[in-house]
Formats: sequence, structure tokens, C-alpha cells
Amino acid sequence: MQINFGGREVALKLVYYGPALSGKTTNLRSLHQLTSEASRGRLMTLETKDDRTLFFDMLPLMLKANGEKSSPGMTLRIKIFTVPGQVLHATTRKLVLQGADGVAFIADSQVSETEHNAASFLDLRQNLKNLGLNPRELPLVIQFNKRDLDRIRSDEEISALASHGREPVFKASALAGHGVLETFFGLLHMTWAKLDGEHQLAKMMGVDPRELLPMAARQMGVSADVSTLLGACVGGRLDGKPEEAK
Amino acid sequence: MSVDIPDVSADDLLLDGRIRLEDLVDREGLDELCKSFLALFGIPVRIYSTDGLLLADAAGEQELCAYVNTTQAGRHACASTVGAVKLRDAGDSGDVVHPCFTGAAYRILALEYDGRRVGRLIVGPFMPANVTQAPESLLGIDPGIAKERAQKLLERMPRAKAEAVTRIATHLKASLDLILFSGHKALVTSKMHLASVTESYRQLEDKTARLQEAFDRLKELDRLKSNFLATVSHELRTPLTSIIGYSEMLSEGLAGEMKPEQGEFVKTIHENGQHLLALIMGLLDLSKLESGTMRMKMRAMSVAPVLEEVVATLTPTARKKEVRLEIDVAPDLGQSRGDPERLRQVFLNLSENAVKFTPAGGSVTLRARTVREKLASGADEDGLALLAPTRMRLQVRVDDTGIGIPPRERDKVFDPFYQVDSSSTREYGGTGLGLSIVKRLVESHGGTITIEDNRPTGTSFVVSLPYTEPGPSEMPQQS
Repeated sequence: MQINFGGREVALKLVYYGPALSGKTTNLRSLHQLTSEASRGRLMTLETKDDRTLFFDMLPLMLKANGEKSSPGMTLRIKIFTVPGQVLHATTRKLVLQGADGVAFIADSQVSETEHNAASFLDLRQNLKNLGLNPRELPLVIQFNKRDLDRIRSDEEISALASHGREPVFKASALAGHGVLETFFGLLHMTWAKLDGEHQLAKMMGVDPRELLPMAARQMGVSADVSTLLGACVGGRLDGKPEEAK
Repeated sequence: MSVDIPDVSADDLLLDGRIRLEDLVDREGLDELCKSFLALFGIPVRIYSTDGLLLADAAGEQELCAYVNTTQAGRHACASTVGAVKLRDAGDSGDVVHPCFTGAAYRILALEYDGRRVGRLIVGPFMPANVTQAPESLLGIDPGIAKERAQKLLERMPRAKAEAVTRIATHLKASLDLILFSGHKALVTSKMHLASVTESYRQLEDKTARLQEAFDRLKELDRLKSNFLATVSHELRTPLTSIIGYSEMLSEGLAGEMKPEQGEFVKTIHENGQHLLALIMGLLDLSKLESGTMRMKMRAMSVAPVLEEVVATLTPTARKKEVRLEIDVAPDLGQSRGDPERLRQVFLNLSENAVKFTPAGGSVTLRARTVREKLASGADEDGLALLAPTRMRLQVRVDDTGIGIPPRERDKVFDPFYQVDSSSTREYGGTGLGLSIVKRLVESHGGTITIEDNRPTGTSFVVSLPYTEPGPSEMPQQS
């Protein structure tokens, strides 16, 4: 996160992590399509000729939050990155992950990809540790993508898995744009809650913390209600608070 | 109120805070772009960075401006207008009009990238469509201004409606935005590339350092081991000499006649003493070979007498085991360089092993001949005709018809103390040092040793030594 008090700006970095070909870039493309032109910049993709992400993709979002009373409000700049999923790009993944404020883990719902999902998650955890970040403290949501395919883990299985886990879980078929906004808002909700709790951002910028997400949704041209979007979460804890040790 | 502002610049490569126009665009290219707009629409265009740096300038002087500048007051007024335009901010809306006393106007537009202002675009001067008559502010600026001339030149100024200028500016901004995006993408990519390379390099250096450390430690351990072996074997040999010597004297009756049973015991002490000595000598040889302190007495020598001596030594043992021991040396075999004593040790060891592992009725054959070194496939090497003769090898094979060595064990048998089947130590005896010493001795002759199948059954140890065809002066003297 970067805070610029003079310019009344807060910059967040969100990272979409996950195994190769799980649909991280597709999530970003869909998000790009689903949001208003005014709220976003160009989608920057750095890919090789066979459409595989080489370094990363980046989608910048820019949202203005009106201030309460006489406060001029603030600008929330969000940069969403994807990491290259292929195993050989380990160094790049670590570099992209640097300074992340929140992570959406894009998993592939196909049963055959179960091990790749797990391996990529362990890779994420190791990279976070290497970067000196505590995986338990970082806002993290999980998306089970490719719900439109055959031979996938069933809804019941995912709900059962999600109810046992800590991280909020969303279902998506990013290609059709389903579940993409839900995942993004879930992640933004957790990230904002954590950073606001730590730095009293809303108080210092003079904005209403509860109004931030609805304002973001309006500016992004999202017609759905934020609570509806967050309601798509099928398990885990969206408040992000770790379970008290017993 | 103290605020905890995290340190972001150092560890975050990608949230690049401030993007500067001048970092992303090529200035000459930008200048050309502006000139193409001037050529297309006839309206001057300038681009300034946020710091007020002129990045591109496509503005030929208008005739009216040149005329005004011929008068003193006109020159002053023109300079002050141009100066004001240069400094004027584009305002909150990012689009303001700055009028000129001549009736012309400038449009000042904010250039934005990634939601931030990165510079200003100044379009003009141009004559707004509604200004058709030379205004009083122009005519009254200096007595030297002639009305007719001013009016005539005013009509020649580039004209544009406000909407047209907006369209031109929008188009220019869109083109520029694409250029900035491409530039930014290239910048980010190269930064990322550099960071990846740096990180990979750092990881490699880390790994290399760790490997070097481990290597140094192992080298030191190896040196300690060799020292230890040398010391220990030397110290062990001293008392052993007494044990062997005195038991030998006892069995020879130098201290009086012994009962047959006593004689047997002393003989066992003597034999095992000899065995222990052989083991210790082997260790000593090995440690000398490993530490490189073994001294070879290299000289021109024939291998045939060495092999004959080996066969003579082993014949009694072979006969006892009912193993045929044969020798087959090519008749034209000349001399090569080597230490005959060490080579005898090599072939004695190999032949002893062969006899040991060959069952009754089998055979062990020692063959010696010269061979041409195998050339790489294709063999289109330069100067082959000159080089090939230097590639002769003296090959000595010890072929047996014994139990054979499985292919995957063939590299390991040369490791010290390694035996294919540890039970074979008990069955066949031996120290497990012989072959490791043999290999090192052969290597210190510049040779190689390999194991091949001896069809239909058995093993061939193939020793290949450097060999130079004897020149006239080196021909063996005796017939």
C-alpha cells in the first residue's frame, strides 16, 4: 500500500495467484469488461505468443471516494496483478507478489487439477514467507473457477470444503464473467477492512468506511448491490479475523 | 498524530508512483507527431511536461505575429502573452482558453495518464471562427500597426471553431495516450526483466556460495582422511613387522621344535599377519594415490614380460583351482612408457581376481595388443591423418569365464571397500581395496580401465594405456 496524504491518494496492490491456466488473466479481462471505462485504465498484458502470461497482467482501477462533511475525500487507486502460473516463472511470481495487500487465489475446479491447485497454494505460502509476509494475516480469498466445465468438483463438495476453511470461497466461470465481481469485491472488502483497521485510513481521509465499497461499485458501473456480491461467498470468514486460538 | 507510513519504494517494483512524460516518450518522435498535426490542421501544437519542460514544439511563426513583433509595444505584449500561456495551468476542468490581444486564442489542455496529470498540450495560436475583424486590442497596441495590413494578415491566420480544436486535441491526446501506454508497458517489462534477472542471479550466487562452502569442507575432510590413513597405516605396520617376523622365526624352528598343533597356530598368526600387512599396504597405496604422493618410475618398457611374470606367479594357484591361465600377446607389440612394477601390481591384481571368481574348468586369458582409439562418429576432424597415429592405445584385457559383474555395479567396483555382494568377501576373501588401487594406478599412467562382458559368460577388464608407435631409435634392441 502507498499512502499519499498530500494528493489524498491510497494505492492498493491486489494479486491474482494460482496454477497455470486457472484463469487469472481471464478474470482480469472479465473485470475489465464488466467495469465502466471511467473507473479503469488499459489492461496491460505481457504475454508470450502462445497466450501464456510471461511476467504479469495489470489492470488499474481508480475510484474516488467522496468525503464526509467538508472533507475533500480521497482517490483509491487499485492495481490488480496476475502472476505467471507456469512453474518455471517462480522468480517473477515472487517479484509480483512483493508488497501485495491482498491475494485472490484462482483455483481450477476440475478434479484433475486438484494437485496443481494445492502445489500452487504451497508455492504462494512459501513465497509469502520468503517475502516476510505472514500468510495468515494477508487478506486472501479463494475462487473456484471454470464452474462451466464437466468433471469438476461439485457445488456440495466446494461448500463442504469452504465451510471448514478460513478463507472466503467464491465460485466463478470467468470466461462468462460469472463470479468475477463477487471475488473482486470479496477481496477488496477484506483488504480495505484490514488496512483501514491498521492505518485508520477512512478517518484520516475523512471518508465513511462503510460507504467505500458501495461507492466503488457505483463508479465501476456495477449494478448489483455490494451485499449481494459479498453474499455469493460460500464459506470461510469474510471478516478476515483469524479464529481465536483455543 | 503520528502515522505509520510503510516503506514502499524499496520493496515495490510495480506500484511505480509517479510516471513522467519525459521518461516514457521519445522526444524527437513526439516532435514529429506534433509537426504532423501542424501539417494536417495548420495549427501550432506544443507539449510541456508537468515541470514546465518543453518536450515538443511544432509552431511556425504566423505572419500576423511576425508583423506585431516589428513594433516595440507589440513585441512586449506578444512576449508577455506567450510567457503567460507557457505558465498557465489547465485548470480543474483540464481545458482552458487563453486569449491573445491580437484576437487569436490558445487552448491549454491537461495531458493525463493513469489518472494523473503528466503534462500540458498547448494548441494555438489560432483565430477563433467568430473573430473576423482586427480587434481594438491589436490595432491600439502600437501606433506602428497599420489597420489594413493587420486585417489582411489576420485573415491569413489559421482558423478553427472551438469544437474543431476540441476534436483535434482529443485525437492528439488519444494518440499520445497510446504512446504513453506502450512506453509504460515497455518500461514495466524491462524493469521486471531486470528484477527477474537480478533475483535469479542472486539466487544462483547464493547457491554457488553454499556449494563452494560444501565443496571446501569436503575437500578438507578428504585431506584429513588421507592424512589419517597414511599415519595409521604407517603406525600399524611397525608392530606388524614384529608379529610377522617372530611368527616366521617360530615356525622355522629358530626357537626350538614345536608340537604340530603349536605349528598350526603360529602358521595362522603368520598368514593373518601377512593378510593384515597386505591390507595396510593397500590402504597406504590408496592414500598415496589419492593425495598424489605416489611416485611412478616411468620408463620405456615392454608389457609382455610383465604379463609373463604375472602368469608365472599365479600358475600354482590357478592349477590348484583347475582354472586355465593363458597369455596372448600380439607379436609386434613394441614398447610403451610405464612403471613396470606398478603395472605388474595392476595385472597381478586383475588376474588374481579373475582366477578367484572363475569356477573350476574355466579359463583366464591375458591379451595384449595395440588398438586405434575409437574416433567420434563421422570423424571429419581436421588433420586426422596427422593426429590419428598419436591416438594408438595399448590394450590389455583380462578375460575370465567367471560369475560376471552386473552392468549397474561396474562403476562401483572401483570404489574403495566396495564388493558386488558383501557375502563374497567371506567366500572369496580380499580387502576390497584392490580394484580401487588398480584404477588409480592405471589413471596415473594416463590410462583408463573399463569392464565389459566376456561372452558367453564372464568379465573382461580392459586396461587401455597410451602407446606411441616405436620410432627407429626406440625399436627394441634385443630380438
